Amino acid sequence: MTQLRTLRLVESALCRLNGRDVEPPPIPLDRRDFLAAGAGLLVTSLLAACDASGPKGSDELLKYAEGRNEVVERWLLRHTSMNRARDGWKAAGSRFPAYFVSKTIPKWNPATNGEWALEVNGLVDKPLRLTLADLVALPRRRQRVSHFCVEGWTAVAEFAGVPLAHLASMVRPHADARYVDFQSFDDNYHESWDMESATHPQTLIVYGKDGMMLPPPYGAPARLHSPVKLGYKNVKYLTRISFMAERNGGYWSDQGYEWYGGT
Amino acid sequence: MRTRPRHHWIVRVTHWVNAVALVVMIGSGLRIFNAYPAFARKGESFCCWPWEGQPIPGWATFGGWLAGARHWHFAAMWVLVVNGLIYLAFIYLHGEWRDLSPRRGDLRDVREMLRFYFFLSREHPRQGKHNTLQRGTYFVMPWIGALIVLTGIAIWKPVSLGWLTALFGGYVWARYWHFVAMLVLIALSAIHIFMVFAVDPYSLRSMTTGGYSERLSPEARNARPFYHLLPKWGRRAPPIDGARNSATSKEPT
Repeated sequence: MTQLRTLRLVESALCRLNGRDVEPPPIPLDRRDFLAAGAGLLVTSLLAACDASGPKGSDELLKYAEGRNEVVERWLLRHTSMNRARDGWKAAGSRFPAYFVSKTIPKWNPATNGEWALEVNGLVDKPLRLTLADLVALPRRRQRVSHFCVEGWTAVAEFAGVPLAHLASMVRPHADARYVDFQSFDDNYHESWDMESATHPQTLIVYGKDGMMLPPPYGAPARLHSPVKLGYKNVKYLTRISFMAERNGGYWSDQGYEWYGGT
Repeated sequence: MRTRPRHHWIVRVTHWVNAVALVVMIGSGLRIFNAYPAFARKGESFCCWPWEGQPIPGWATFGGWLAGARHWHFAAMWVLVVNGLIYLAFIYLHGEWRDLSPRRGDLRDVREMLRFYFFLSREHPRQGKHNTLQRGTYFVMPWIGALIVLTGIAIWKPVSLGWLTALFGGYVWARYWHFVAMLVLIALSAIHIFMVFAVDPYSLRSMTTGGYSERLSPEARNARPFYHLLPKWGRRAPPIDGARNSATSKEPT
């Protein structure tokens, strides 16, 4: 066998010297094949060695990619791109998932907390404190839109509320206010947004859903809703809106979900 | 003189980068799917998926949890897209697309190839670099890839790029086509990998180092799945009668 092998190697060298375009019969599993098979095995074992969340040390790479993606996403965001649910799409109604982080549905108790009011403050010229009646009296926008959950489902609802851009024009944020934080009374749930998404015309402080006042499972008395952000960015049970120079994370963003969470 | 590699090094590199990126994309995509393993809009039912609510087994997923899988998916997508564009630009500029594009008589050749594989004909049909089934597969795969990328962008940015999402029938349908196209790609890849090992394991070498001997081609070996895996040692030169002409000559006979 070794003789045969040597013969073939010689023959192969001769073929090359002669410049012939014909190769001799191959030797099963030559050096290159061996290397190739070895490389394949290495890749497989590497993949098997890392746990289901990926190789260690990949976190920084993923963080970097998230940052680059955010640049792309902010560049793609236009105040002119609007979401509208088609007429044929049924409103989810009571099938709209209710979600909160407290153990039970958070309810504002006026007996202990006083009358509910929404604070609008931070880096602004004219901080505001708005009761529900104040909010309802402000210019209203109704929109039948899709709600995009990070999990992959969507739900259609008609939301009514005040565009945040209008509130911003009332409080007049400073030039260095590039972020907005939304605080809730649902166990300290909050999320911060970029200014561009917050002032999108479809970003509303919502107090009405499907033609009725917002019910407690969906964030009463008032919630944030915009189709331009994923569900977890749309804070319910609002208490305070703060304009800020820096972002301050959020409930799910701090646990590893994308901070930007845009659609 | 060394023979020209069967595949240009750019094709070889992009092939393997694509393989790794696809595994990451599919695994993380399935993990994302499991967060809502259904297609229906809330409050509606969905016509076209019999397994609504049925999650993918955990072992087939990658990323650990929803946020982790999303990070992997949105990072690896750039690898997949950039790598794919390099490959497509290369085969366009370098001419390899001619080995892959459909030809007149392909349907007949598909029948001939299937007849051979199912033992209804004795001789391997004549072919160029690839047989007709391969050419069809390698031609269709980039188109399915393009569909996957476009539907993926449509469900990534359903508002910013709402026109694209609308083009696929809205978010629910775009997500559905994203998933179905992925299933088709998995099926084609599975057949591809099976055929590599069952018919032409020598192509592993041609896709890594580039080396290949036409004597080892499936046509020269008259190879069906698991038949004639080894070349005939006695055969020194390809027959010259043209009955089983070697793939070294691509001219029509």
